[in-house]
Amino acid sequence: MSVVQLKSVTKRFGQFTAVSEATFSLNKGEILSLLGPSGCGKTTTLRMIAGFEEPSEGDVLIADVNMHNKRPYERNVGLLFQDYALFPHLSVKQNVAYGLKRRNYDRSQINNRVGEMLDLVKLDGFEQRRPSQLSGGQQQRVALARALATNPEVVLLDEPLSALDAKLRQELRIELKQILSAVGASTIIVTHDQEEAMSLGDRLVVMSEGRIVQQGPPTEIYKNPRTKFVAEFIGRSNWLRGVLGPAVSNNLCTFEVAEGLALLVPKPEFDAPTYEVCIRPERIRAGNAASTDGAASVNRISGTVQNVAHLGADIHIVMELASGHRFTISEQFIGQSMDQYQGLLECTFFPSDCIVVAADS
Amino acid sequence: MLQRYIDHFGAWAVVGTILLTVTFLIAPIIVSILMSFDARSYLGRFPPTEFSFHWYARFFSDSYYLTGLKTSLIIAVIAASVSTCAGVCAAIVLDRYDFPGKQALETIFLSPLVIPAVVIGFSLLLFFALIGVFQGYPRLLAGHIIITFPYAVRTTLAGLTGIRKNLTEAAMTLGANERQAFWDVTFPLARTGMVAGAVFAFAFSMDDVAVSLFLTSPQTYTLPVAMVSMMRTNFDLTIAAASVILMLFTIGLIIILDVIVGLERVIGGGVYRS
Repeated sequence: MSVVQLKSVTKRFGQFTAVSEATFSLNKGEILSLLGPSGCGKTTTLRMIAGFEEPSEGDVLIADVNMHNKRPYERNVGLLFQDYALFPHLSVKQNVAYGLKRRNYDRSQINNRVGEMLDLVKLDGFEQRRPSQLSGGQQQRVALARALATNPEVVLLDEPLSALDAKLRQELRIELKQILSAVGASTIIVTHDQEEAMSLGDRLVVMSEGRIVQQGPPTEIYKNPRTKFVAEFIGRSNWLRGVLGPAVSNNLCTFEVAEGLALLVPKPEFDAPTYEVCIRPERIRAGNAASTDGAASVNRISGTVQNVAHLGADIHIVMELASGHRFTISEQFIGQSMDQYQGLLECTFFPSDCIVVAADS
Repeated sequence: MLQRYIDHFGAWAVVGTILLTVTFLIAPIIVSILMSFDARSYLGRFPPTEFSFHWYARFFSDSYYLTGLKTSLIIAVIAASVSTCAGVCAAIVLDRYDFPGKQALETIFLSPLVIPAVVIGFSLLLFFALIGVFQGYPRLLAGHIIITFPYAVRTTLAGLTGIRKNLTEAAMTLGANERQAFWDVTFPLARTGMVAGAVFAFAFSMDDVAVSLFLTSPQTYTLPVAMVSMMRTNFDLTIAAASVILMLFTIGLIIILDVIVGLERVIGGGVYRS
């Protein structure tokens, strides 16, 4: 059962089309990440679901009811604002109770529910504090408790972690996911951070320039991005542009990049004038590690190491191929010496790790 | 090395300027306060040799001053109330709605701040003569509302613009309609700005001479106007006592406000920022 449905929703501001023909649905209890760079229309989409903007065309349905001309307070939507938007003149308790009061819960119900919510976000004992007396992470949890208190049909999170510093962000990401699944909230998260989108979302909807370019489970999108934009936006990638050569088997064909540089890649299921191949840095192995699995179906490249950066768990090696292409390789650090990554380095990767997309013209 | 001397000199210059400014601000007031307690019955040299309350006694037995004080208080209370209400409405419209001519309207609302008070007084005098109003109260009230209105608009507007729009949106997603969101969120947050506006309006009304001079009638005059005319005809230290009393009203008001809403919030921007 879908809680929220968007049916070819378009939003125009004067001449500018912010969202174009967006269609997707959110299932009950699911967390959906709306991912895209800033200005891609994801926030406008969120605001249309919350009722702050009216679609120019198309329909927004919440719990199978068309929300056309329904004001925000006529919908049951919980919204966590990017900067939390806590009421500065009210205490934590009053903030969380506000929605309950406005939705006419009686006093004892309000007290119970507020206690329950503050318990959920681990802020009991903070009832009388003002928002300004709380840390950023605590403020966020109050805002979350406030948004969840009225049992909304759908919870919308607008860049929930972007206001926090990197270390706190990781902690809160896990906590956020726990809280959301504890209440079984159907959630839409708007974010430009792919890690946030992938770790929180059961499903991703990737947007670019007002359009939805791909949707599906995070792993699926990471493994099979349909366009160069998606592949580049989600994860790191090395790119090679070239011409598709003859097939060598049922599902493999050659891919000519440059003089002396040809790869084996999966046969694409679509036609394009030119193709580009993306190889994730972590799928490339330095040395001959991959060759044990049958030499015929392995791609080998070699290049000169230009830079080695040891980033803790990962080692990033930048090398230049004979053709002039630059490749980044990501190796796991398992105690090896950095000395092996110098001079001429040979690398291997499987054809199945090559993602073929149509090249942008 | 030289740079450090220059820096040192700069720091001392700043401190010196501040001290000088404070001295110039405070010293004359202290002189007039001390002189108002002078026991001598004539206008003697500073400092007074003995202290007494006899200038105050004279002030409170002089019906001319008392009439002025009473008029000042009545006018200030009414003018501050009216201009605060009107100013709050104007500020809300300016803050929340976009319409053609908004900029022009804001400029008109704030124009009494830049138009010389003498010009306002004189124009009002001509205007009231034209429409046949010669009584003191309506003329003074109109003048005082005009000069205090911009302060109410300004401080309320400052309070309102500090309130992020998403607070209203948050209230709306939580079930409040536009009217409820205004009373639950916008109004309480802008209240300090409104109160500050009312205080300024009251203080400026109590204090005004330039506009009032044109609009008084023989029976209706404000305390500052009474002080000016006494200074011309009958200069003695009752005026110093009157100044102190005038000051006491403003100081008293500020103290009351400090107790009720907290002075820092009223003067210090009057805006919540979390």
